[in-house]
Amino acid sequence: MINKVLAALLLLAALCSPVAAETTIVFATDATWPPMEFVNDQKQVVGYSIDFMTAAGKEAGFKPVFKNTAWDGIFAGLASKKYDAIVSSVSITEERKKAMDFSEPYYTVRQALIVGKASTAKSLADLKGQKVGGQIGTTGYFAIKAVAGVEAKSYDEVGLAMEDLNVGRIAAVVCDDPVAANYAIDKYKDNLKIASVIETGEAENYGVAVNKGSAETLALIDKGIKAVKAKGLDKELKKKWIGQ
Amino acid sequence: MSEPEITKIEVGDGAAIPRPEDKGLVSAWWIALFGAIALLVFLPWYKPDPYLNILRFVPDGILVTFEVTVFSISLAIVIGLLTGLGRLSRNRFINLIASLYVEVVRGIPLLVQLFYIYYALGRFVRVPDLVAAVIAMAFCYGAYMGEVFRAGIKSIDSGQTEASLSLGFNHRQTMAYVILPQAWRTILPPVGNEFIALLKDTSLVSILAVADILRRGREYASESFNYFETYTMIALIYLLITLVLSKLISIMEHRLSHYERR
Repeated sequence: MINKVLAALLLLAALCSPVAAETTIVFATDATWPPMEFVNDQKQVVGYSIDFMTAAGKEAGFKPVFKNTAWDGIFAGLASKKYDAIVSSVSITEERKKAMDFSEPYYTVRQALIVGKASTAKSLADLKGQKVGGQIGTTGYFAIKAVAGVEAKSYDEVGLAMEDLNVGRIAAVVCDDPVAANYAIDKYKDNLKIASVIETGEAENYGVAVNKGSAETLALIDKGIKAVKAKGLDKELKKKWIGQ
Repeated sequence: MSEPEITKIEVGDGAAIPRPEDKGLVSAWWIALFGAIALLVFLPWYKPDPYLNILRFVPDGILVTFEVTVFSISLAIVIGLLTGLGRLSRNRFINLIASLYVEVVRGIPLLVQLFYIYYALGRFVRVPDLVAAVIAMAFCYGAYMGEVFRAGIKSIDSGQTEASLSLGFNHRQTMAYVILPQAWRTILPPVGNEFIALLKDTSLVSILAVADILRRGREYASESFNYFETYTMIALIYLLITLVLSKLISIMEHRLSHYERR
C-alpha cells in the first residue's frame, strides 16, 4: 500500500518537476485590445501578441502560458510576481523603464485619434474644452493629458471608451493605431472614423515587460523575438491579424 | 419613567454609527478617527513623494464623490417615499408596481445596474456620465429606501390611523399630518445608514469612468506604479469621510429624538 502511494507521489513529482528542457513563462495579458490580444468567441485569448510569443517560444524553447489580467493593476501583479512577464501591447516608455525591464521591441505603433463620423477635428488641439477618452494608464491616455485644455477621461477598457464615443458622451478616443483601426474600420465603421495619427515625437514600440533582475527570462524572450523577426514570421502575423 | 416604545429598524450595511450609550463603539470611533487623521498628516510629511502628490491629485475626485452621493440620496429619498407609500397602498395596481420595482432592483447587483443604465440604456437615452451615475444609484437605493419607509410607516400604531379617521381626516391627510411626522423619527436612523452605505458604493461609479476618489487614485497609481501608497491614501480618505459623517448623523438623530426622551 505504502509502495503504491510512494509510486503515485513519485509519478506526480515527475509530472510536475521542470525536468523537461522547456521552461514555462507565464505572461499576463489584458485581452481587451483587439487585434493585438483579445478573447475570441470560443473564449480563448488570441491575437497578434499571443501568436508572436507562441512563435518566439518555439524558436527559443520556452512554453508560454497566457493569463488574462485586467490592465489596471497588471504592473502591480508583475511587481508582486503573480506572473513572469507582461505581453499586453505595453509601449516602452522612460517612466516604465524605471519600474521594470523591457525586451527587444516587437511591434511599432503610433497613437491614433478616433472621432465621430461627422466630426471635423483633426488633432487633439481641435478638441479644447471637450472630453477625450483613453484607457487608464496607456500612452494614448497620457497623450490626451499632455494637451492643455482637453478634458482627459480614463476608462478601464478601451472598448468602453469607444462605446461612449459611439453614443456621443465624449468627443474622441486616443489609442494605438492597430486597435483604432479595429474599432473605427471594423466594429463601429458606420459611426466612427480615424481623424489622424498623433505625432508624439519618438517612435513608440511594444516590448515584453519583466521584473528588474529577471535576466534569464528576458534573455529567453529576447532570443525568441529576434528569431521570429529574423525568419520574417512577424510579417505573416501582421498580415493575419492587422491585414497589411 | 418608563422607556418610550420606539421601533428600531436595523439595516446593517452602513458604517457603524456610534450611539452615545454604546461606550465600546464610541472609543473605537475615536481611535479610528485619530488613526486616520494621524496617518493622513504623517505620511505626506514623512514622504511627500508620493503621499503628498497623491493628496494633491485626488481632491476634485472627493468633490465628485460628494456630488454623486448628495444627488443620489436626495432622489432616492423621493423614490423611497413614493415606493414605501405604494407598497402600503390599498390600490392593487399601485401596490403591484411598487412591489415589482423593489423585487427587481433588489435582485440585481448594483454593479450590474450601473453597467445596464450606463451602457445598455446609453444607446437609447443619451445622458451625461454624472447624471447616469446618479440615476443608477438612486434607482437602486430608492428600492431599499422604500422598504425603510414602509417599515417606518408600519411602526406607527394602527390606533392612530383609526383615531385620525374617526376624527374626520381622510387617508391622505392621516398620512401627511399624523403618520409621516411620527414615522420620520423611526425612519431617520436607517436613512442615515443608507446615506453612508451609498457614499461608499459610489466608488463603484469609477467603472463608468466617472472621476471620483477611487478613479483619481487609480489614475495616479497607473501612472506612477505606487499602488500601495495610492490605495492606502484612498482608503484613509474614505474612512475619514465615513467616520465624520457617521458622527454627524448620530448627532442629528440625537437632536431629533430629544423630546421622546423627556
